[in-house]
Amino acid sequence: MLELRGIRHRYGGRIVLDLEQFIVPQGASLAVVGHNGAGKSTLLRLLALLETPTEGQVLFSGAVVPPRARASLRRRVTLVEQRPVLFRGTVRENLEYGLKLRDTARTAMNGIIGDVVDRLGLNRRRHELSDGEVQRVAVARALAVRPDVLLLDEPVSSADRAAANALYQALAAERAARPLTVCIASHQLEEAYRWADSIRALADGRLSPVTPENLFRVDLPAGDGTKHVRVGGIDIAVMTDRTGPAVLAVPPTDIFVSLQPLSTSARNVFSGRVTGMSIEHRGAGVHVRADMGGVELVAAVTAEAARDLALAPGKTVVFSFKATAVQVF
Amino acid sequence: MLVAGDSEVYGIALLTLKVAIVATLISCAIGLPLGYFLATRRFWGRRAALTVVNTALAFPTVVVGLLLYGLLSRRGPLGGLGWLYTWQAIVVGDVLLALPIAAALSAAAIQGVDARVRRTAQTLGAGAWRTAWTVSREARFALAAVITAAFGQVVAEVGAAMIVGGNIRGSTRTLTTAVALYTSQGDFGLALALGLILLIMALLVNIALQVLQGRGEPVVGGAGGAGGAHA
Repeated sequence: MLELRGIRHRYGGRIVLDLEQFIVPQGASLAVVGHNGAGKSTLLRLLALLETPTEGQVLFSGAVVPPRARASLRRRVTLVEQRPVLFRGTVRENLEYGLKLRDTARTAMNGIIGDVVDRLGLNRRRHELSDGEVQRVAVARALAVRPDVLLLDEPVSSADRAAANALYQALAAERAARPLTVCIASHQLEEAYRWADSIRALADGRLSPVTPENLFRVDLPAGDGTKHVRVGGIDIAVMTDRTGPAVLAVPPTDIFVSLQPLSTSARNVFSGRVTGMSIEHRGAGVHVRADMGGVELVAAVTAEAARDLALAPGKTVVFSFKATAVQVF
Repeated sequence: MLVAGDSEVYGIALLTLKVAIVATLISCAIGLPLGYFLATRRFWGRRAALTVVNTALAFPTVVVGLLLYGLLSRRGPLGGLGWLYTWQAIVVGDVLLALPIAAALSAAAIQGVDARVRRTAQTLGAGAWRTAWTVSREARFALAAVITAAFGQVVAEVGAAMIVGGNIRGSTRTLTTAVALYTSQGDFGLALALGLILLIMALLVNIALQVLQGRGEPVVGGAGGAGGAHA
């Protein structure tokens, strides 16, 4: 649906986004995770055709978007910013904004916005709304124009679980009713995992090959202390008091790589074959991917260590990490 | 004299108002879009253009009058128009003086609008014109102040009006040139009365502009929308 190709986007000479390729497939619900400043918002603004990449191309339905077509394509791709603004005027005026641009008839307009925000009070003005309400109006305003692609930048604050649930229910309902491609930027892995069918991780403006792979959706058993959870063909030991559905994250830098099993305190020791190696963009690190009983794990080692161990695809390796290294979301 | 309704004084006041309104309309019709353009487009030489406009803010009115005199005088490039010593010449001079005000101040006003407003308008499908309208709406108080400032410039302007208008009785005598004349003649009472008319005129125009702006929103949450609150 939307694609970025060969992107190098700069702000004042500094590269903030460096992507070989980034695809938002049609009908996908895609999550982009990453820390603040990783480039998520910039990525969404490029996808929303609001900014032109300093280098590279934006493709819509497989064709490069010519500068003159940007404005008309923007009618099909809508972005809700991280901290959205409402226009001067009432809630109703805000909701009608995009519809009026599309010459929507009054009756149709009432039908679209009527049921969306009954509880918000259509005649209230923006200074009378709470931050959460502004957010909801902004999402409703974007959904009202029935875009083909909806881009959401951190649509809910981590504190407001109820609002998050309401939003994801609304999105699910919309997607059930019509084809809608959604791409959400979030710094919360748990949230992303809960609804997205595919996740991309962004770090320092680059796609990080690691983060999504070492994340596992699990069901934590009851009890305290060390728990063993089944992931694919392996049991992962984890220290947590949490129970129920959770996401486990194993930081690649916390995984020891050796050729033989080590006698250490690490509760998690897995043996398998190297499936791939990739040089990290920054620093001299190497990412080693290995298949551990049907589960792919990624470990980060120095180039020197990779050389000393003569790591190569097909070679048998052992990954070890402590139960306390496993993060629970 | 004011109460008596001296017909000559009314003529002068009316001409002043006509010149000021026409000049304000023209300078704002060009200056506001120019300001928007300078504020929102990134183009080569933009910074230089802004510097030029800002410098023009401080252009001495008599110098503008002098330059315009050279252009409009019979042997000047625009002499064929025959505008020298007409009210049109005063309008041209006033437009030249008010245009930088309209452009520079509206550029500043538009730059003061949250960048997200423009992006939001665009992402909801607004074209260039509609986006400009939406952004300007957010800055309407600042833009009204720009119009007021432009009007203030042209209504109070005396240098250019004197030089290219000629202060001809019954044809190009404006309130300011009349005040200057009567003051130099020692007729302070009349000069003061004309000055008072000028003040009242400025007051009325400001009131009219405020009525046009309509009801405002409180500053709380208004400036940056609700987004500013948890930034």
